[in-house]
Amino acid sequence: MSASPAVDPRGPRFAAAVTTVVLAVVLVTGWWPLLAAQTVVFAIGAFVGLRPAPYSVLYRLLVAPRLRPTTEREDAAPLRFAQAVGFVFALVGTVGYASGLTTVGIVATAFALFAAFLNAAFNFCLGCEAYLLLRRFTPRAGQA
Amino acid sequence: MTGLWVLVATLVAGLVAGGVLAARNGRIRGSGRAGQTPRTLPGPVVEALDPAASVTLVQLSTTFCAPCRQARTVLAGLAERTEGLHHVELDVTNRPQVAQELGVLRTPTTLALGRAGEELLRVSGVPRSGELLAALEPHLG
Repeated sequence: MSASPAVDPRGPRFAAAVTTVVLAVVLVTGWWPLLAAQTVVFAIGAFVGLRPAPYSVLYRLLVAPRLRPTTEREDAAPLRFAQAVGFVFALVGTVGYASGLTTVGIVATAFALFAAFLNAAFNFCLGCEAYLLLRRFTPRAGQA
Repeated sequence: MTGLWVLVATLVAGLVAGGVLAARNGRIRGSGRAGQTPRTLPGPVVEALDPAASVTLVQLSTTFCAPCRQARTVLAGLAERTEGLHHVELDVTNRPQVAQELGVLRTPTTLALGRAGEELLRVSGVPRSGELLAALEPHLG
């Protein structure tokens, strides 16, 4: 079950804070290249891995050395799933802004911002909860 | 300008949602299913009951749940310090029907069950050990 490596739970929270700021700037300025960059960040976290994800690298370089080490670990699978959810919203948002469908861009960005903000401010991972709900409603083969 | 208003609205919605979630965390609820007989409890829960303990805390967890680990630490410590209190963690990742039968939507949720399997109370989120102990006191011993 824990095939994916565990991570320091403060890393994703830091990443969520950066994501919140980035998405807030996108909403205010409507500057879609920034949202495109955030889409790439989400994609790396979701499809490549959390370690090479830009905000995790930033966390390890800038933040982690200033904090006391923790033995607390969190499973990476739901976090990566959450990044994938973020990726979808950011992608839809980017396409919306870039193609002139600004409303689509704004709405998609707002959803992604809502999730990132909940994670940063309350340590509540909306995408992770969604992962559980999805699993609950996905019947697995070989289950009695 | 629209973007700015959407930003403000989204942050306010986030604050409200986060506040509601934080308020619910660790809240102790009396049993809404008073009188439920052990017969209607799902099999894995019945098996988890410790006949030697006055109260068994059955913690429903899933593999992908960070607060479940915190809840485990709190409850295992409490059970160790408290006579007559037993703690079992039940992983329902691959058997969601157990959670469904108990009416549990989120993990961690902890059920406090009496010797006969009657539900005394339940806690969703990470329990606060002092508060939980106070609520369990009448049933212990």
